[in-house]
Amino acid sequence: MIEVPFDPIRTAIPLFVALVLLEIAAGRFWKARVAYEGRDAWTSLLMGFGNTVQTFIMLGLISAVMLWVYEYRVFDIPIDAWWAWVAVFFLDDLIFYWTHRISHERRIWWASHVNHHSSQHFNLSTALRQPWTGLIVGTWTPWLLLIWLGFPPAMIVVQNGVSLVYQFWIHTEAIGKTPRWFEAVFNTPSHHRVHHARNPRYLDANYAGILIVWDRLFGTFIEERADEPCKYGIVKNLGGFNILRVAFHEWMAIFQDIGRSPRHAMGYLFGPPGWSPDGSRETSATIKAKWRARMDSAAEEAKAA
Amino acid sequence: MDQAYIIQFAVSAAAIVLLAAVAAWARIPRKVEPLTEPTARALIAEELPDVRIERVWVDADGAAAVAKAGGEGVVLFRVGDGFAVRTVPWDEVCRARALKGRALFRFGDPAAPACAFKLAGERLPFGEAA
Repeated sequence: MIEVPFDPIRTAIPLFVALVLLEIAAGRFWKARVAYEGRDAWTSLLMGFGNTVQTFIMLGLISAVMLWVYEYRVFDIPIDAWWAWVAVFFLDDLIFYWTHRISHERRIWWASHVNHHSSQHFNLSTALRQPWTGLIVGTWTPWLLLIWLGFPPAMIVVQNGVSLVYQFWIHTEAIGKTPRWFEAVFNTPSHHRVHHARNPRYLDANYAGILIVWDRLFGTFIEERADEPCKYGIVKNLGGFNILRVAFHEWMAIFQDIGRSPRHAMGYLFGPPGWSPDGSRETSATIKAKWRARMDSAAEEAKAA
Repeated sequence: MDQAYIIQFAVSAAAIVLLAAVAAWARIPRKVEPLTEPTARALIAEELPDVRIERVWVDADGAAAVAKAGGEGVVLFRVGDGFAVRTVPWDEVCRARALKGRALFRFGDPAAPACAFKLAGERLPFGEAA
């Protein structure tokens, strides 16, 4: 097992609980912009619990692989060097950006990550709505690159925890915009509302973990607009709160598709969500293209009038 | 099992029950009025902007609506304080069975397998538009 100097997630659990209670109180007593639906919140919290069970089951294997890769490291990076922590902060966040982006753009990883997006609410309980199959589909493997470079596995585990704890507070509608300099550099509730929105304008944007600069750099940044409030959930919202359907619906759909047409298995697994051999279904790209066409035609009609 | 994990699981389980209870007690969902024909039309237009709706039927408790759009049926139904939409061939809408005052539509979609439509009378109202 990997010995960590401290576990940010375990340390933050009381903070998570306190902040959820505070957010609910803000909605109940101070009329803040907060909405909780009982079954939705219960589902999100159960998904979070299932995620910790998944982590516990997979922990031994992941630790073993990390320690094995570390045996073949290129450099010896000391865990107590300040520059190593600065470097791991940026590199971890960059890897998070790309892993997160791929989790939206390829269906096999979306099948796991969709769990986090399936609530029609955006509150702190949504932050805890975590996938049950992420570790099984290897969303942790890109970080092996850092371990191979020579960052001790404990550093990676701690920095991953720091990133996850940071991302908790940005799942809220109660906070509007933060100061402009902060919005420019960091991921904020406003940026993350856009990420969770299902409006065509906002699809596939703002993948950042801590630093929003990656989205600005790689062209996936979209600003939240006052004239278009975010609507949360997924393109085709879930039809209920059955926890097993919430956790596995996209996997079931993938198996259904492959069962009907095995020769298109690779497309169904590694194509974008919504991919189909005949193009009859909608992907984010086609939804956005149709939305743009509608906007353009409305603008032309307005000009003609 | 590591004792720290046992404690973490126990504390997490207790916290989940507490938070879910508080969230339910607070009663701060979004306000959702029962569906009417205009609100159902507006919601469907938002979800499926390219679909031309011919006619809409709202169920007896305002929790679901069925729309005819050419050869397609659009089913809008309430999920918590939100809505979900699915499309089915119109023939299937007309063939739906009425049981205990409800019509059940099956979508064959693991994310939303079915939806119940509460009938005002004994018979399905959709057949006449077929």
